[in-house]
Amino acid sequence: MESSKINVRQLFVLIVLFEHGSAVVIPLGVSAKQDVWISILLSLAIGLLLFFVYRRLFEYYPDQPLTAYLPQIVGAPLGKLLAIVYITYFLYIAARVLRDFGELLLTFAYPETPLFVLNAIMAVTVMYGVYKGIEVLARTGELFLIVLYFLAIIGFVLVFVSGIVDVTQLQPMLEEGWRRVWKTVFTETLYVPFGEMIVFTMLFPYINTPTKVGRAGVVGMVLSGINLALIMAINVAILGPDTVSRSSFPLLDTIRRVQVADFLERLDVFFMITLITGGFFKISIFFYAGIVGAANLFGISSYRRLVYPLGLLILILSVVIASNYAEHIQEGLKIVTFYLHVPLQVIIPVLLLIIAAIRRRFNQPAK
Amino acid sequence: MKRAFALFISLTAYVCLLAGCWSQRELTDLAFVIAIGLDKTEEGEYLASLQVVNPGNVAGAVPRGGGAGGVPVSIYTSTGDSVSEASRKATEKVSRLLYYAHTNLVVVSEELAREGLDEVFDAMERHHQFRTTAKLVIARGHSAKEVLSVLTPIDKISARQIIQMLKFSELAWGETSNIDIWRTVRDIAVSQRNPVMTGVAIEGDPRKGKRQENVQSSVPDARIKLDGLALFKNDRLVRWVDGPTARGMMWVLERIQHTNLTVPWEGKKEAIGYRTTRSKTKVKAKIKNGRPSISIHIIAEGELSESRIPINLADTSLLFRLEKELERSAKEDVTKAIKAAQREKTDVFGFGAAVHRAAPRLWKKIEKEWHDRYFPELDVTVTTDMHIRRTRMWDKPY
Repeated sequence: MESSKINVRQLFVLIVLFEHGSAVVIPLGVSAKQDVWISILLSLAIGLLLFFVYRRLFEYYPDQPLTAYLPQIVGAPLGKLLAIVYITYFLYIAARVLRDFGELLLTFAYPETPLFVLNAIMAVTVMYGVYKGIEVLARTGELFLIVLYFLAIIGFVLVFVSGIVDVTQLQPMLEEGWRRVWKTVFTETLYVPFGEMIVFTMLFPYINTPTKVGRAGVVGMVLSGINLALIMAINVAILGPDTVSRSSFPLLDTIRRVQVADFLERLDVFFMITLITGGFFKISIFFYAGIVGAANLFGISSYRRLVYPLGLLILILSVVIASNYAEHIQEGLKIVTFYLHVPLQVIIPVLLLIIAAIRRRFNQPAK
Repeated sequence: MKRAFALFISLTAYVCLLAGCWSQRELTDLAFVIAIGLDKTEEGEYLASLQVVNPGNVAGAVPRGGGAGGVPVSIYTSTGDSVSEASRKATEKVSRLLYYAHTNLVVVSEELAREGLDEVFDAMERHHQFRTTAKLVIARGHSAKEVLSVLTPIDKISARQIIQMLKFSELAWGETSNIDIWRTVRDIAVSQRNPVMTGVAIEGDPRKGKRQENVQSSVPDARIKLDGLALFKNDRLVRWVDGPTARGMMWVLERIQHTNLTVPWEGKKEAIGYRTTRSKTKVKAKIKNGRPSISIHIIAEGELSESRIPINLADTSLLFRLEKELERSAKEDVTKAIKAAQREKTDVFGFGAAVHRAAPRLWKKIEKEWHDRYFPELDVTVTTDMHIRRTRMWDKPY
């Protein structure tokens, strides 16, 4: 285990960056049309419940990451198997986010660059950051969060000043009733980005004041959830529900429509910076969780030895997992959600908590 | 030794990475397409006319080598079965790579607009260089190619001239509409409203208009002018509206800022002029017995700009009566505009969106037949509220 520690504020920063990560640029929950912001807020509420499950597990097993206490809850063979599943899951999602990132950049900025090259540049950066450790990542995060907030505030003002916001496009509210909203919650927005907080069960042991983990998590998630809901609502108010649901990158379309005073326009670079920074932290955190878990499970003295082999792995994986963007998105929405997100973010953690609570009550440590 | 080697390797890596120019293009290798014109040929193919800036003849504007300098823009045309094919083919005639990131204007011929624009915009929306904040106009009476060929004074690049006209004419007069492509695409895609676009016509002889001599005369042989509003039904142009009717449309669409209304007074036609300073339009839908109706309320304030008869403008009761007359005049324009749209069975005002907001369930039922069945018979109440705030520099005319 790495001995470095991060403080609560840094955890909060990492959570905010992670939650915004790719969620802010992709068409998050657009199947709810103009009610997308309601979906996101409801997902936030349920996501917080999930977060309490994760935190409770951490309270039962302080100073240990998820992959270490899994065998203690369900017994060694099954627990180790599950730990491998989780490690694979984290690495796979890291590869997926890397692919997202590469595809997005390729589509609107670098149409002639091969995907592998873009992904490789990002992967090398991520590998370097992770090699330096969680403390360095967290401090970098503190810097970048300020930059992102600065851009967000400027972007916000410009969007409103340019007079393209038409709030009537958010109406009628709940046109199709609550069903469509809940459907979006349980098929999309709950898992990305809120359920993905499961990855932080791998990072909690690095907090120097473990009692404050809950506070950082809740504040970070609530802030991110409100931001995401607001951004998607603005996207709808500018583009209209129909255009948002057709767009590959609603936020980019929104930013491209900003024209203030004949010269403040073409602010695509705001989107680029958000995408690259958010992507970096999301990939890094998943990657870090994956390799720390692997090092821990297989008894490797330093996780650093795994950075390069596994880094190469996610780089290659990110290119080969899908032959085109449509396939990548289809996999994400259909297969990953139901076969990976639902069991690994919701079902298994809840079952673990129940088993752990029962064990605690009867005071029977696993054999 | 090991350090030196590592340093060498990393420096080499930096050289490759930091340049960051995978698909870099030199400025001198690019042809900036400033406007795209689309026509249809007799064989049914697209005819794309690309207005490309001729950089040497724009900046500085010092004619080189004596005599008249070259023209500021050059038109390249090519045909193809699709818009992207036509624009790609144009590279056979251009010495540089076509670059669309600065395309600010799209001109579509009336003929093509009458056939339908559905398939035209997809290529533009999808292209990563092209910006959907570009403006869209319909060439009225002439082909898009002819419109883009006319050379213009003041703003040398005619695309820019058209964009500026769109902007300032909407601001100052309000019979034409300054519409971005993305709004048009959005309006075509939804059933709640249909698009309206501005027409551009050529005044004079288009054949003379493309010569440099055109801009060497204080009264050019050919001029470009904005001309009326084109009403669309879904993606097809169905009708032109002009003059006060067009202004009536703009009132309902809440796009009027400054305009000039003239009203008769004491038997004299067009006796009093009134300029609006700002205006606001509220469109509300009401549902009664399962049938929607619309009420429009227009509020404007402004000042008297002209009086051609001797009346005492310091008299408040007179101003009050004048306001009533203005209200009647504005209401007349708006009613005319609504009638025109209803006759063509196309809801260009977004009344459908208002009904959708007011009664989502009802809207689901009537959505399919909205333009053809419900909108033409829609009961629309118009109320106007004009305020004369001041009478400019003088109380009484001479």
